[in-house]
Amino acid sequence: MNRRARWWGVGAAIVLVAGGIAATVMMASSGVGPVLSGPPVTRRLTSVQYQNIIRDVFGGDIDIGGRLPPDLRLEGLLSIGASHVSITAAGMEQYDAMARAIAAQVVDEKHRDMLVRCQPASITAPDEQCAREFLAEAGRLLYRRPLTDRQLETYVTAAADATEITHDFYQGLKLSLSAMLTSPAFLFRVEVVEPDPNEEGAYRLDAYSKASQLSFFLWNSAPDSQLLAAAESGELHTRSGLEEQVERMIDSPRLEAGIRAFFADQLRFTEFATLAKDAQLFPKFNAQVAADAREQTLRTIIDVVLTDNRDFREIFTTKETFLTPALGAIYRVPIYKQGPNGSPDQWQPYEFAADDPRAGILTQVAFTALHSPAGRGSPTIRGKAVREIALCQEVPAPPGDVDFSKFLQASANPTSTARERLSAHASVPSCAGCHKIMDPIGLALENFNGAGGYRTIEGGVQIDASGVLDGIPFENAAGLGEAVYKNPAAVSCVVNRLSERALGRQVTSGERNWLDYLKSDFADNGYRLLALMEEIASSEALYSVLPSQQVASAPVENNREVTQ
Amino acid sequence: MWNNELESAPMKNLLLTALVGLAGFALCASPAEAETRHYAVSWFGMATNSSDNDCSEGVHPVIEEIYLRYASRLGASPEQIADWRKKMMAGEVVAELYEMMMNRGRIDGEPVNPYAHPAAVMDLHLPGLDGRYAYGFDLDGKGADDPDGFEDPVTHELGVDHQMYRALGCSRAFRGTLEGRPTYYAWAWGQLKSSQPAWLISITGQDLGKDGPVTVAFNRALEHVRFNSDGSPRFDVAYRIDPDPRSHNRFEGELNDGTVTITEHGSLRLLQNPLVAPEFNLSNVHLRLTLNSDRTARGFIGGYQPWHPVYWGIAGVGFGGEQQVTGDIPGFYHLLKRYADADPDPVTGQNMAISTTYYLEAVPAFVAPATEVTAWLGSR
Repeated sequence: MNRRARWWGVGAAIVLVAGGIAATVMMASSGVGPVLSGPPVTRRLTSVQYQNIIRDVFGGDIDIGGRLPPDLRLEGLLSIGASHVSITAAGMEQYDAMARAIAAQVVDEKHRDMLVRCQPASITAPDEQCAREFLAEAGRLLYRRPLTDRQLETYVTAAADATEITHDFYQGLKLSLSAMLTSPAFLFRVEVVEPDPNEEGAYRLDAYSKASQLSFFLWNSAPDSQLLAAAESGELHTRSGLEEQVERMIDSPRLEAGIRAFFADQLRFTEFATLAKDAQLFPKFNAQVAADAREQTLRTIIDVVLTDNRDFREIFTTKETFLTPALGAIYRVPIYKQGPNGSPDQWQPYEFAADDPRAGILTQVAFTALHSPAGRGSPTIRGKAVREIALCQEVPAPPGDVDFSKFLQASANPTSTARERLSAHASVPSCAGCHKIMDPIGLALENFNGAGGYRTIEGGVQIDASGVLDGIPFENAAGLGEAVYKNPAAVSCVVNRLSERALGRQVTSGERNWLDYLKSDFADNGYRLLALMEEIASSEALYSVLPSQQVASAPVENNREVTQ
Repeated sequence: MWNNELESAPMKNLLLTALVGLAGFALCASPAEAETRHYAVSWFGMATNSSDNDCSEGVHPVIEEIYLRYASRLGASPEQIADWRKKMMAGEVVAELYEMMMNRGRIDGEPVNPYAHPAAVMDLHLPGLDGRYAYGFDLDGKGADDPDGFEDPVTHELGVDHQMYRALGCSRAFRGTLEGRPTYYAWAWGQLKSSQPAWLISITGQDLGKDGPVTVAFNRALEHVRFNSDGSPRFDVAYRIDPDPRSHNRFEGELNDGTVTITEHGSLRLLQNPLVAPEFNLSNVHLRLTLNSDRTARGFIGGYQPWHPVYWGIAGVGFGGEQQVTGDIPGFYHLLKRYADADPDPVTGQNMAISTTYYLEAVPAFVAPATEVTAWLGSR
């Protein structure tokens, strides 16, 4: 794990950024250039974060029910979209229904002895002390900071009033708890900013916001009690205190949830919710296969970057994966059930042969099927997905006056191959500009049909899956994975996206030096994702903010390369 | 190796381990570097090829008409019969008739359940099939001299023994073709496919792309055969062979022009589902299974089958099923008994087995002994 000296600290200076805006600039102590912090953001909890918090605070057997408002994807990430969404009236109704259902379960007879630690003097009368004890602790975990005296007093009073009416102590707790669960303080991650005592004129997240920043980044959930205690004691604002918490959190089993959340976001796995295939053409594909395919890719990634802590880029080349019997039928490999007939399928490790074109996540069903229409594969869609997801390269939208006649003409021949059909793009200048950066990549995946099944023939013709990615030639899909592995853009992509996920916004031009440092450090550490995550989590850049009056005109850089 | 498509190193290890475990197993004693193709049976039913002129005495009447025949024999007056017919044609429930039919057996003059006591039900002498063609095999070797022999519509072999088709082939529920499947077997297989573990076929030969000797193994899986959401059988599912020795069968055979036949005709035993029949038994087993380019296999398996279990499988549907699926159940008892052509009872001389042919379809699968791939089985 990287333990090199952090770049924050020794000298700080105030400089003027272009445009004449005054801002805080940190001088590097270990090779990092000046960094101009970005603005603070307020984020609505994502669906998964909401579920994770309820699970972590109240246990996994609490049924959330209801329907969480849809998350918004912006700049490729739900994590960024979360800072651009509010709550609609209909969404609030759902939150309210879920809050009532959750609160009812927390105080029901099945759970109350475990979740409400104190015993009321009478279950038919208010017990201020017990109510205060429970609401203070629940509020601390849900709000990710201690309740203010006024907040706590309000909830305790409300609980007592409800108890008086219902003659049920736990109904009183339920009322106040459900109110907490619909509070903006729970549903939104509000960053509270304070002056940085170490840097005159600089601002930073307060300790509790810092704890949340750290926790949602690494665990995709709220801070645990230990982290909140470190915030409360001020330890989290010390270098050693931060590093101690980061190390503890990196070592925690909950880190897997954070890594899964990042890659599920990056790979756009929310689109699985609407993925469907033509049952006549792809009869093996069903909801179970789709769910397993999603999980397969996440397990593959976790195995590389977490379990084995290998070079992150191996997710594009690894032959090792995990399969269920249902996926085995899609991949046409023998995955035998392990348990009794009728028992749930179990995941089993599997390694594709060295000469098998399956290698890396781009050749897995979760990628090839997700980025295909319902009835066929699509080199263009897949090529675009590789550019945008694996390389963070933006592909411009097609012009409004696309002439499809040549493409349709090429498609009219049923025995033509996708390569032949797509060649029509080359003859139309307005199409060729973009398609030349998508189609050759997507054609490398033509050995996989629209549901991810392997094929060698299209229209009676042997499929040619060879191509070139940014100057690196390849022969087949496995070769495409190798080409992505070797492409520096893949490294920049994961560094940028992981940083953006942590920040909840795009990285500003002022933070370029920080990104450059992260990339350099990532390379020095053999492209191990854990080292990168630790570096990001330990970076003061993650917790420093630009004063709000300067935010409006702060330059925000689009980190994505626009490929033409 | 277990499957000609398997090449990965981990699976090779697994397969080698599995091969070692085969010593006492009937799956296959494959010669070195043999090729094996595995299949899961996705359709299984009596082979029928009904045509317009194969029941010279006509197809059996609908069940309501048969009920009226029974009622007449049991003493109902012509007027009563006419009234019941009129009501049934109007769609009315004729409870009195139904009560009579649910107890149309007679033992010592007392009404008894006809399905449980079919021998106690009068024989209406419903006709058997007398057409020329039937899928199958010349089981008794009599060839063209066999007076009961059919001609196979594909191979044109004469002397084909398929008396079960002759017995049941004029009943509406058993009429059909390979494509238009008989109602009874569509129902029965519909029940079985989701309620009994899959039946597996493994063909092993030196090179299944060429003619030559093969071994044919029939085994039962632990898992049910898997189907896709559109109802089609799922290819490439991995099945474990049930260690229960009652469902392991192995035959010597040969592959000729893509078709597998059995050359040493032994007996076959596969556990089934008591819902239809506890087990499936054939003696003097014959097979003609074509391995298709789409990786499926389809063909015929024939032999002599004890006819009592066939009857009890049909009888299990009872009164409701008799009306909706099968037709006259006790009538089938008498037909099967009449046309049974093998295994005479040493005391009564009644043949206890009947020649038959089943049509089967199968899809490619992965197969391995359960004891080799499932840790929990080994520790049971």
